[in-house]
Amino acid sequence: MTAIAINDLFVNRNGTEVLQGISFTVETGSVYALLGGNGAGKSTTLLTLLGFLSPHGGSVTVLDMDVTKQIDRLRRQIAYLPEAATLYPHLNAYENLEYFLDLAGMKTTQTQLDTTLDEVGLQAESRSRHMDNYSKGMRQKVAIALAILRETPVLLLDEPTSGLDPVAIDEFNALVRNLAELGKTILMVTHDVYGACQIADRIGLLRRGQLVGSFNAIEGEQIKTDLVHAAFAERANN
Amino acid sequence: MNSATRIAKEEWRQWLRSRLAVLSLIVFTVLLFFTTVLTTLDMQEARHKRLHQQEQAEETFLNQPDRHPHRMVHYGHYVFRTPPPLAMFDPGVDAVTGQSIFLEGHRQNSAMFADARAKARTGGFGGLTPAKLYYLFLPLLIIALGHGVILREREARTLGPLLSQGVSGERLYRGKLLALAILIGLLSLPALFSSIAASVLGESPLASVMLYLGNVLYLSVWTALTLCVSIITRSRGVALGVLTAFWVVTILVIPRVGVTSASATLPTEGKILTDMRMNDDLRKLGDGHNAADPAFAKLRANLLAQYNVERVEDLPVNFRGIVASKSETDLTQTLNAYAEKRMQRERAQAVHLAAYGWLSPYLAIGGASRNLAGTDLETHHRFLREAEAIRYEFVQGLNKAHIEKLSYIDDINRNKGEEGWKRARVDAANWQVLNDFRFTPDQAVDRLSRATSKLVSLLLWFIALLGIGLIAARRLTP
Repeated sequence: MTAIAINDLFVNRNGTEVLQGISFTVETGSVYALLGGNGAGKSTTLLTLLGFLSPHGGSVTVLDMDVTKQIDRLRRQIAYLPEAATLYPHLNAYENLEYFLDLAGMKTTQTQLDTTLDEVGLQAESRSRHMDNYSKGMRQKVAIALAILRETPVLLLDEPTSGLDPVAIDEFNALVRNLAELGKTILMVTHDVYGACQIADRIGLLRRGQLVGSFNAIEGEQIKTDLVHAAFAERANN
Repeated sequence: MNSATRIAKEEWRQWLRSRLAVLSLIVFTVLLFFTTVLTTLDMQEARHKRLHQQEQAEETFLNQPDRHPHRMVHYGHYVFRTPPPLAMFDPGVDAVTGQSIFLEGHRQNSAMFADARAKARTGGFGGLTPAKLYYLFLPLLIIALGHGVILREREARTLGPLLSQGVSGERLYRGKLLALAILIGLLSLPALFSSIAASVLGESPLASVMLYLGNVLYLSVWTALTLCVSIITRSRGVALGVLTAFWVVTILVIPRVGVTSASATLPTEGKILTDMRMNDDLRKLGDGHNAADPAFAKLRANLLAQYNVERVEDLPVNFRGIVASKSETDLTQTLNAYAEKRMQRERAQAVHLAAYGWLSPYLAIGGASRNLAGTDLETHHRFLREAEAIRYEFVQGLNKAHIEKLSYIDDINRNKGEEGWKRARVDAANWQVLNDFRFTPDQAVDRLSRATSKLVSLLLWFIALLGIGLIAARRLTP
């Protein structure tokens, strides 16, 4: 069953055609990694899915809802983790979660919060500390906990592992995989080819606003090398 | 709790956890509290003192012994402008125009004892009033606390998750606006106290309420502006720069430009030159102390003809008194003409300056505040007119006694020994010509009508900024 469907999508930003007719689908309960270099159009794709940018051609549907027409309804079904999610530095993990959940109209108990924070692996002793003392990995865990608590079927992740140490990347990848197994649909944009291959069910390759390739991640180790070359060929040639 | 309230609550939690915000809030709260209390006490003291001085001046005048009536004309009398109750919030022009006038025959003296001259000795800090604090400095606190309300979300990257989970830009805007509105509400409590205290002291509730609301409206303009800039700009540095520049331009530059423009467009003649021209005109009217002055020859001839006598000594009235009275009438007309011309020019300059209020909310609230408090230029002019009216009335009352109660013969022989001096006196009961003087501000409705255009300009500023902010909020993206 398709959760996200992008069809012949064109998007302009500041007079430049950033997306030039890309099409792909993401199946329910799967992880889709959109790979590409800087300026390829990855974040533009996410912002369009969130309704912050309007396409001037093509269509975007999430959970059978047209993002240009039903965005308010749709946003309640999507959790978005921007690159370097910081949340509120003057609040602790509990306060951050309570605030976001309050605004989403959801009430949770302390037990639910603790259970979810256990699930994402945030140490109990850190939870009452203000988040300005958190590492990036810890902040990512709280952001994931929020997505879990909001019970959104779709997660959009923008460069989620950028700046994380290898241990944190492994923990994060395991978490994402686990969520997919629980039936969440995850679309992540990244330039981490190896991480994408580790967790994604499918990988799309974006270059200069065009989807130049689409692969199943399990197609073999050789694909990784090919992907690196394909996605970052221009940079390599420069 | 709805989302706007929740966002506002969170904003307050952030402020209360920020040392800079807490320190700023404490400093301003203490400053507001002390300024309000001190200005209230100051104005109350001035009010009681001037009322007492007015009573004392009247008593002293009325208790003068039997004298020559013209000596009483020169003995003179003082009138005091009692500050209205709302002066405890905005003393307005009180500090610079003077608060009392010495009234005497043949002269229109200027108001004196301007407080600003005394306070200049304390480096001007003594002149810090609640109005100045609210209008000059509170916008800086709003800028300091408010410029980052949306930008902080953008810089902390919490804007994306918020918007993407269905919290619309408009909801966020309302929440932040509510947080700042609560801030304004709390900071306006001393102003509310001043308004209530003024009403208790006899001020019209309409004027008190409107002054309080005007103050809230002015702070709301700054709030809407700050929020607007926080949405539109992309960094806190830029936002702070834009807002500080707006503060400098609207509070320091435009008023200065307005004053210069008013002086250049509607120049006033210097006091020395005016006095010289006025004295020339007055000299033409003749010397009222000299009944033989040729300027009164026609008056003498008419009177002699009217009473069918040959000499002024034979007139049934004191000719010297009639000359003094006629001279006072003519002289007052000339003095009033000059005074009216000067006041009209000052008024025109004030109107010219007030037009700049459409560009500067600070000028608009300053004008509206003085209008409503009854401490504006118009009120000062009315004080001058009322003082002049009472001066003319008592001087002419004394001249009447001079005409009717003192014979011409006794009058001209007043310097001939003890007996002559005694005979040239009239009974002290004649000093009762002096009416009580209690200066009160205009009716609240009149004051409000003078303030209306300024309040409307503030309202338009607020609506425009609120509208721009809302439009920008609806288009808010991470």
